[in-house]
Amino acid sequence: MPAENGSTKPADSFEAFRGMRDAYLDAMSKAMINAVNTEEYAQASGAMLNNALTLTAPFREVLDKSMVMALQQLSLPSRQEVAALAQRFANMEMRLDDIDAKLDRIVELSAVACPPTGRTVTEVKRPAETKTKAAHRGNTRKG
Amino acid sequence: MAQAEVSSEFLFGLDQRLQTFNRVMTTKAAIGQTPKEVVWTLNKAKLYRYIPVVPAEKRHPVPLLLVFALMNRPTILDLRPGHSFVEYMIGRGYDVYLMDWGVPGLEDKDLKLDDYVLDYLPRAIRKLKTLSKSEEFSMLGWCIGAILTTLYAALRPDDGLRNLLLLTAPLDFSKRKELTFAQWTDEKYFDVEKVIASMGNIPGEMIDYGARALKPVENYITSYCKLWDNLDNPRAVESWHAMNTWVTDILPMAGGAYRQLIVDLYRNDRLMKGELMIRGELVDVKRLRANLLTVIAEADHITPPCQSEPIASRTSSKDTEVYRVPGGHIGIMAGSAAHKQTWPHIDTWLGTRSS
Repeated sequence: MPAENGSTKPADSFEAFRGMRDAYLDAMSKAMINAVNTEEYAQASGAMLNNALTLTAPFREVLDKSMVMALQQLSLPSRQEVAALAQRFANMEMRLDDIDAKLDRIVELSAVACPPTGRTVTEVKRPAETKTKAAHRGNTRKG
Repeated sequence: MAQAEVSSEFLFGLDQRLQTFNRVMTTKAAIGQTPKEVVWTLNKAKLYRYIPVVPAEKRHPVPLLLVFALMNRPTILDLRPGHSFVEYMIGRGYDVYLMDWGVPGLEDKDLKLDDYVLDYLPRAIRKLKTLSKSEEFSMLGWCIGAILTTLYAALRPDDGLRNLLLLTAPLDFSKRKELTFAQWTDEKYFDVEKVIASMGNIPGEMIDYGARALKPVENYITSYCKLWDNLDNPRAVESWHAMNTWVTDILPMAGGAYRQLIVDLYRNDRLMKGELMIRGELVDVKRLRANLLTVIAEADHITPPCQSEPIASRTSSKDTEVYRVPGGHIGIMAGSAAHKQTWPHIDTWLGTRSS
């Protein structure tokens, strides 16, 4: 019918259904928001979580213990040991980051103190680099 | 005959819609596409620098660091090409950095807000300053990211922070009756120590359930009905797809940080009472003196406006503004109206304070 009247929008047979659905969902939404905002909901959800944790605790404990024993038998590190190692890595990474920042600062300050202009710096640098490389090569051969 | 044609057209249309619905529900959209490079890492955290598109001489000299929450990916700030806050800001001449906290593992279960604020942030900022060759910087914190940036700004006020932008910042927990999370995590019903002892890190699914359960019908039913109604509109579908990809990419939260969030903030409101201790230092928001823009989402059900309003009057900042935007917790920055409202306002405010 709307097409016959010159409208470009085709008739939507589901429009009425959508309207009803949206009205129902709106009402439902308000009711649910009110429901989750109550002390009763907080109490019920807390109790459910608490019960779930209490019920699963013995199983988790048995599983953890047997896993640790199995890993020990296989001479493999446990989750806790790997986690402790990872924590040490993170601490080392943090120290390296600080050292890196200090080096950046030293380079920055030395650049300000003696700007790299002309031949002097190049002349000082080259023999030192050659020496280091030579020493490194020597070490490699010995190793 | 005509009836048969109508039926076949209807079935064809239905088939197309089902295919689109299936694609959107079972695939991931490409999000976080703006070109960037990793410039610093520590443990799981990464600092990204977005590749500038504006010549250096036309850029704002003060870099901007974006800090998002701990339990979702920060890709919400760079959702999809053409609708990305990061893309918008680099186009406006900002040198943009993004802190990605990464996914905490079992070894990170004891990480606290103290570690994020005093170990991670200062080091990332040190790197940012070195790279940008600027002693001053701006910082934008969103949601839990706003808590972290506020703590940092109050604890290290002399570190060069010039501008602080707080989006939907949950900082004041005094109005407990207006905070559904505060009711759910009340010590009468919720044993936070038992949860942390059992799980270590708090699973993303549990946090996600908490956020969705605040508005269960909208999140579990209406959102999908809206998608179904708009399946013929490719722009709406792609937008929904991108948002769904981000929403479903949930992360666990370090147990130590979760404990502080519940005990120190939700239960005892220690930050606003001036009682919050971070690694032995008392956090006094009065020490925060950076220029401050607080963005409040008027229809925010996760961080109601009452949680973000008081901070502006509690700091020593001489330049403060509270900007209210119609919209929800995420919608104000990632919704369809964000590029007309929130982003230009942030650009205008920050632009005049970044030269």
